[in-house]
Amino acid sequence: MSHSQLDQLVSMANQIANNNAHQGDETVVVNFVASHLKRFWARSMKQQIIDYSQTADNNLNHIAAKAVAELAKEYA
Amino acid sequence: MLQHYTPSTRDVTKLDPNKDYGTAASTSTTLVTLEIDGVEVTVPDGTSVMRAAALADINIPKLCASDNLEAFGSCRLCTVQIEGRRGFPASCTTPVNAGMKVITQNEKIAKLRRNVMELYISDHPLDCLTCPANGNCELQDMAGAVGLREVRYGFDGHNHLEAEKDTSNPYFTFDPSKCIVCSRCVRACEEVQGTFALTIDGRGFDSKVAAGQDEGFLDSDCVSCGACVQACPTSTLMENSVIDMGQPEHSVVTTCAYCGVGCSFKAEMKGDQVVRMVPFKGGDANQGHSCVKGRFAFGYATHKDRIKEPMIRDSIDEPWRTVSWEEALAFSAERLKAIQEKYGRESIGGITSSRCTNEETYLVQKLIRAAFGNNNTDTCARVCHSPTGYGLKTTLGESAGTQTFDSIRHTDVMLVIGANPTDAHPVFGSMMRRRLREGAQLIVADPRKIDLLKTPHLKDALHLPLRPGTNVALVNSMAHVIIEEGLEDTNFINERCEDEAYQKWRAFISKSVNSPESMESVTGVSANDVRHAARVYAESNNGAIFYGLGVTEHSQGSTMVMGIANLALATGNIGREGVGVNPLRGQNNVQGSCDMGSFPHELPGYQHVSDDVARSNFESVWGVKLDNEPGLRIPNMFDSAIAGSFKGMYVQGEDIAQSDPNTHHVEAALKSLECLIVQDIFLNETAKFAHVLLPGSTFLEKNGTFTNAERRINRVRKVMPPLAGKEDWEVTVALSNALGYPMDYQHPSEIMDEIAQLTPTFTGVSYQFLEEQGSIQWPCNEENPLGTPIMHEVDFPIGKGNFAVTEYVATEERASRRFPLLLTTGRILSQYNVGAQTRRTDNQVWHDEDVLELHPHDAEERGVKDGDWLGISSRAGQTVLRAVISERMQAGVVYTTFHHPGSGANVITTDNSDWATNCPEYKVTAVQVEKVSQPSQWQRDFVQFDKKQQSFLREDRKVDV
Ligand code: SF4
Ligand code: SF4
Ligand code: SF4
Ligand code: FES
Repeated sequence: MSHSQLDQLVSMANQIANNNAHQGDETVVVNFVASHLKRFWARSMKQQIIDYSQTADNNLNHIAAKAVAELAKEYA
Repeated sequence: MLQHYTPSTRDVTKLDPNKDYGTAASTSTTLVTLEIDGVEVTVPDGTSVMRAAALADINIPKLCASDNLEAFGSCRLCTVQIEGRRGFPASCTTPVNAGMKVITQNEKIAKLRRNVMELYISDHPLDCLTCPANGNCELQDMAGAVGLREVRYGFDGHNHLEAEKDTSNPYFTFDPSKCIVCSRCVRACEEVQGTFALTIDGRGFDSKVAAGQDEGFLDSDCVSCGACVQACPTSTLMENSVIDMGQPEHSVVTTCAYCGVGCSFKAEMKGDQVVRMVPFKGGDANQGHSCVKGRFAFGYATHKDRIKEPMIRDSIDEPWRTVSWEEALAFSAERLKAIQEKYGRESIGGITSSRCTNEETYLVQKLIRAAFGNNNTDTCARVCHSPTGYGLKTTLGESAGTQTFDSIRHTDVMLVIGANPTDAHPVFGSMMRRRLREGAQLIVADPRKIDLLKTPHLKDALHLPLRPGTNVALVNSMAHVIIEEGLEDTNFINERCEDEAYQKWRAFISKSVNSPESMESVTGVSANDVRHAARVYAESNNGAIFYGLGVTEHSQGSTMVMGIANLALATGNIGREGVGVNPLRGQNNVQGSCDMGSFPHELPGYQHVSDDVARSNFESVWGVKLDNEPGLRIPNMFDSAIAGSFKGMYVQGEDIAQSDPNTHHVEAALKSLECLIVQDIFLNETAKFAHVLLPGSTFLEKNGTFTNAERRINRVRKVMPPLAGKEDWEVTVALSNALGYPMDYQHPSEIMDEIAQLTPTFTGVSYQFLEEQGSIQWPCNEENPLGTPIMHEVDFPIGKGNFAVTEYVATEERASRRFPLLLTTGRILSQYNVGAQTRRTDNQVWHDEDVLELHPHDAEERGVKDGDWLGISSRAGQTVLRAVISERMQAGVVYTTFHHPGSGANVITTDNSDWATNCPEYKVTAVQVEKVSQPSQWQRDFVQFDKKQQSFLREDRKVDV
């Protein structure tokens, strides 16, 4: 397993998404994940995941990618 | 040996905690008036004559009675006369009656008592002058009190004077020649400790106290809690430290620095030397009881390994240089500033300690937020109870347990999940056992068969041996049963819970995927047992949940905490005595360090950094602008360090190199730092990677407060001067000043005043008030001026209780062909956490190495015998431990502890973590186990590295001497 910081952030974001899939419909879940990232992630982590989400073929899952896109609206 | 255990907290606070009233307080509310020696006395119905007299300061002689034990009536020294009754009843076993007239002293009574004493003394060595109990012996006192003047029987008859001593226990000696067979020790072991290690063997004259099957203390079931030593009225059971040093001359009440029970102790002193620690009867958490760590394992404070001077070095490949405090602090400040200059404001951070005081923790996070100018603060609670903070705040609105320990007296069903209280929270474990003996039912959900299931005289118990990593599946299936079978508390839900969230949760939990039948194949627990457990918990009058790190240290740790809160809400088991959600905290001040704003996203009092109002309060008092974005958590700091953006760290009193998971990764992170400042009492594992080593102080060397698992704020009092001249808070103050952010406190009480000013749940707390109250359970403010023993009685801090949808998501860490077993980790009674303290005491006799426990089936499959060396490998790393074959394990699951650094238990744990908080998944690692003949590569490297670092320390000390 790679320990690169970015891999770690991606898997954390995906994990948050996976653990909350049942919070409601997609918008609810996306907002939940985005708000979690907003409340608990450091500025530098947010910036890295936002930059990463804009690369093609990234490994964010569907929900996580949408949540990061929400985050990007506020932080970009 | 005069302090004793009285069951009722509330009562004791009004009494003199240093006096033994002979029998326990009665809980009756009916009052009875009687006359004792012509004095009118009014006491609760059910009180003994002895206690009633003692309350009126008429002190009837006694030997076998003690107010922490059931009255026994064997010594007959306490005889009295009662008007209208024949004979001489024992006052300790006689309850009061209205209108009773008692005479405690006359010629006849005096004669009887002298006869009793004469018999005792005729079989007692008269070496009082050289006896260790001299000056503090109840037998002596009673001989004096009854006026014994002669012993007619002579001393040459049949006696026990030649009986041999048992010195097997490192902390106390059993000298049977002094025993008067009062059985206080036996009863203390049963009633107070709940271990049943002692018996009275034989009858009549031949009767004697025996440990186990007469096998000596160390080999018996004895857990060395010391309750028997404290109970013994003679020097038969005596602390070795008293035998060595003599009786103490003064004492100071303080708080144990080991676990989250937070026991109060009297540190009994001779000058600035601790003679012994005696649990304090007036302590509201422990009520006069303790465990082996708190009572006996304090020797580390004066261990030769203590760091006594500040030290610095430019690189970790260089020896240390001893320098003055000024130089060390200037060096630190300069380096930190240079790093920030070069890599930016966010390139440094710090770690507060869950072992240090509230005041010290508060100051470290203040230093980081105000002087470093960022929110990169975290604490070791990250790796233990951070999910509790998240989960309970989301559901109940406050990041804390809901009860007092004492509330367990009203509990009918205990649901214990992922906790091992008799090892990790021993004094609370004893309280649980007492309640279980009284008939409470026990449900344990744990992969291992924990010792609580082996409680002597346990009535009704159910063990749900689930697979590691499947907690949420289990708790959901219990909740499913409650809803499906209509066992929920509709009134409570309607009145106290948020309806929309409840409906959503109800729909979710009712799905058939959550039924015990569907989850059986996941958890490995039979659906019938789950249904039974759910019914027992839901149908009880008072069901209480206790949980530990077996809940939090999982990839779904936070989900599980919410699942537990859901259960309590659904059954209305919140907001009164005997129920609740009770996280059992690991380190002494985990609760406090969380309360004090150690987490990167929260200011003290769990106020989010993005909350403008809260932040501006802090800004105006601290006089700086604060960052409104959360900072890095410990694992994020490590990742950033390896990535090269995080370069400096101030670590107070934590050993992240040993305690954090995936050691390879942690070591790589620490090595990449340009400035690591470690403040600790020993050269711990982390300090081996440090550039600055600042000497820390033990709990005996400072003033402050700790907050235990029941939110109880207890005073820590200085009994000896700090070895290196500074208490830990003073070091932080000095560092802050060196960094140019002025801090000016003369005493920790001033820090507490600032905390109270800025933390809404602490407004009423002050040292003055603590002095008056003994201890305070927060919230303590205008609405709760005396503190809050039971939370959520009327409403929740968020108004209504909030059900959370808790979907089970399997961890990515799964057993596979390559790693077919699941490793789970834990701790044991005698060692504490990373062991830095307890390893430097005689507690080593119980556990001098970490071992790997495995089930006989797994052992057989691999041809492993007890004591074989086993290589344990995971995808993170490999280590070698000795095998112990144990039926406590289920097949497929292996277990170890991490008390010894060279064991490398965390070399194998991975960097998987809780989705919400990054709390590491210590409790589940897929591993393979095989027989090997030598230590692992990591262990060999460890020995080398350790040797080198130790020599760097010694080289310098040589120069110094
Ligand atoms: S030390 Fe504790 S466990 Fe051991 S015999 Fe005494 S009371 Fe029992
Ligand atoms: S050892 Fe002490 S407490 Fe126990 S029976 Fe003997 S005198 Fe009593
Ligand atoms: S370690 Fe815990 S249970 Fe033991 S004495 Fe200390 S606070 Fe009490
Ligand atoms: S103290 Fe009452 S019989 Fe011993």
